[in-house]
Amino acid sequence: MTKKSFPFRATGGEIRALQQPGYYAGYSTLAQQRKWDDATRETVTSRVMKTPPIRFFSPQEAALLGAIIDRVLPQDDRAEAHTVPILPALDQRLFNNELSGFRYEDMPPDQEAYKLAIEAIDAMAQQRFGQAFIDLTVHRQELILKSLHDGHPDPDHAAWHRMPVHRFWAMLMEDCVTAYYAHPWAWDEIGFGGPAYPRGYMRLENGLPEPWEKDEQRYEWNVPADSVSELDEEGAPPEYGSLHGHGGSH
Amino acid sequence: MRRFDEGETVDYCIVGVGSAGGVLVQRLARAGFRVVALEAGPFWDTEKDWVSDEKGSRELYWNDLRITGGKHPLALGSNNSGKGVGGGSVHWAAFTPRFHPSDFRVYTQDGVGVDWPMSYWDLKPYYELLEREIPVAGPAWFPWGDPHGHPYGPHPLGGVGDVLVRGCTSLGIRTVAGGPVAILSASHGDRPHCIYRGFCLQGCKVGAKASTLITHVPDAISGGAEIRAHSMASRISLRSDGRVDGVIYFDREGREHFQRARAVIVSGYAIETPRLLLNSVCPAHPHGLANSSRTLGKYLMAQAGNVVAGRFDELIRLYKAPPAHALSEEFYETDPRRGFARGFAIQTVGPLPVAFAKQMVAAMGAWGWGMRRVMMDYNHWATLGVLGEILPWEDNRVELAEEKDQHGIPVAKVTFNLHDNDEKLIEFGKNKVMEVMWAAGAKQVVQESRFAHLVGAVRMGSDPSSSVVDKFGRTHDIPNLFVCDGSILPTQGSANPGLTIQALAARTADYLIKQGTAIFSSNQRDLTEPGIRYDLSPPYTKFKGNPRIT
Repeated sequence: MTKKSFPFRATGGEIRALQQPGYYAGYSTLAQQRKWDDATRETVTSRVMKTPPIRFFSPQEAALLGAIIDRVLPQDDRAEAHTVPILPALDQRLFNNELSGFRYEDMPPDQEAYKLAIEAIDAMAQQRFGQAFIDLTVHRQELILKSLHDGHPDPDHAAWHRMPVHRFWAMLMEDCVTAYYAHPWAWDEIGFGGPAYPRGYMRLENGLPEPWEKDEQRYEWNVPADSVSELDEEGAPPEYGSLHGHGGSH
Repeated sequence: MRRFDEGETVDYCIVGVGSAGGVLVQRLARAGFRVVALEAGPFWDTEKDWVSDEKGSRELYWNDLRITGGKHPLALGSNNSGKGVGGGSVHWAAFTPRFHPSDFRVYTQDGVGVDWPMSYWDLKPYYELLEREIPVAGPAWFPWGDPHGHPYGPHPLGGVGDVLVRGCTSLGIRTVAGGPVAILSASHGDRPHCIYRGFCLQGCKVGAKASTLITHVPDAISGGAEIRAHSMASRISLRSDGRVDGVIYFDREGREHFQRARAVIVSGYAIETPRLLLNSVCPAHPHGLANSSRTLGKYLMAQAGNVVAGRFDELIRLYKAPPAHALSEEFYETDPRRGFARGFAIQTVGPLPVAFAKQMVAAMGAWGWGMRRVMMDYNHWATLGVLGEILPWEDNRVELAEEKDQHGIPVAKVTFNLHDNDEKLIEFGKNKVMEVMWAAGAKQVVQESRFAHLVGAVRMGSDPSSSVVDKFGRTHDIPNLFVCDGSILPTQGSANPGLTIQALAARTADYLIKQGTAIFSSNQRDLTEPGIRYDLSPPYTKFKGNPRIT
């Protein structure tokens, strides 16, 4: 990444180049892999050890989508060697044409939707700021993406008349969070206990850690000053955001 | 496992080995019938095929293409469709509350929906039987509906259960904790108790959580049934006298086969069952098999499944304990003061990191650094679910789309819309659960709209002009064609349907066993209640739990 934007502490400067972001310093789910079953160990460790090649997107498309993903799920605070590969996981899903059980009637197939969208995002950047998306500052990139997030692409583009922008945004976000939060380095960041078979969990109440888990050590953490992706904690969720939830919960 | 020859005619061909199919194949095989059960997905080896990992578990779900539309289109796949032996009971959270007596009389009592062609009391003996057979763990006293206890004791609470109990108690809302769930709180035969692994939705590797894969299918195989995996049914075949004579299906390599049977039972659930019947049109049935009523595919239902998330100052660690372990049905029944009919349950849910992040996308519009921030607080969040009744509406339906699958068969198109009563119910339920979350001490509360479960689309009823099957799942139009799964439910209450689906399957099996060969040859329809049979286990396994395959 040639452009970065760092979270910061008001009292202590930028948070950057971390081997392990989050409040659980020293915690490692992978350190527990000997307590997992063979099938789980193979699945999880291959996610760390093997990064699938880019086969669906062209090099130009991959570079552009990579820049988009870097803002949609930023990892600027991570050390380069400890960034989670998101684009390769997305590329693999599209290369294999892996579906998730349905397609909305107003959406094109996923492969087509992604090609349409990345072309549109670059065209929007050219029209609004006179530069390719990949050449914009972080702040300007976020402004483009926030307009998609808000459901009001700015500037408008023909692609968003061929598919609803909120549907594409949900798909993009879900693909990115699936790749990131399925990775054990992200589990370390958030303090998730990880796979628990054949050894299960024992301390179920009061938020207690298992013997191998870490206590939380909180510190001040602020989103980058030039970011517009901070949570709107007081406001209502976006109009569309509450209508198209996915995934299992029962 | 027994293997029937290619050209052999069996007594029953069952399409789909899920919650209902698994129970049917077990009972029919034990009763001496020759049974082949076709399953589109694999016969799982739980140790090698399953993982304690969200992303690595995607093969459990029905991921094939369906088209979804309407004003409130349903997300299909991981939440509500299983593929493989055990079906949806592999990835269910395993809440197993019963339906209430009022669920069977919705039209009579509340003037909405339809009544069932049977009563709660017809099904109650099967609830009791399946609760012992699974077996279900839960509170010693479940105070709603038809109050009852459970065979196994309740489970301990996790952090989310604490939140539900604390929040409801402070508002004067009754709760139960520790179940009812189809998860062992102590060992049962060769099945170990729960180790509180938290990955219920990814299939239980321990064997503590019931699925028909481990509870009924091994017994079926011991009884002489054949489970034919990787066998995707494409159409049901009819003879010239109007009876079915078998099922055409594709194997793993895409080759077509015909399994001859004297009767067919379709147990493919609410999307694939109507799809199969609609894809089986022929000159005698131009609008879909057994569709003289023109209701096939209509009255599809999902339950409201809104998730309310609350952030607490203290740690919760919601990934421990079963996701399903505490609930309240205080708002289940109609209360005219609320301004809508029927109601909802409040239940614990336990999204793991990927599922939780997706919920934050929908509930908070989280993205970019905001996503990273909220997820760094993952261990401070608790989530509760609304499980709300959505009434059967004719315009909610399964049809055939123009798109085709890899075998050239039209895929399902699913249309779903909320109506006024549904929207009022969801709004009330969502607000009530948010109130519970605030009362439990949350510092921030958000919610996401979603749906859970899938039932209906092949309606059960007494009147052949407005339903597809009778009270035993027998199609009105074809005497040796049955449907037995969630698709026959006329309404759905706000209880998870899994136990009810299995109980209905056990009841249908008793009917088939009592009717004997009349199912294959007679046009007479005997609708007498069959009476429940007990002591289903073979003598050598009595009190030893379900046998494993050896």
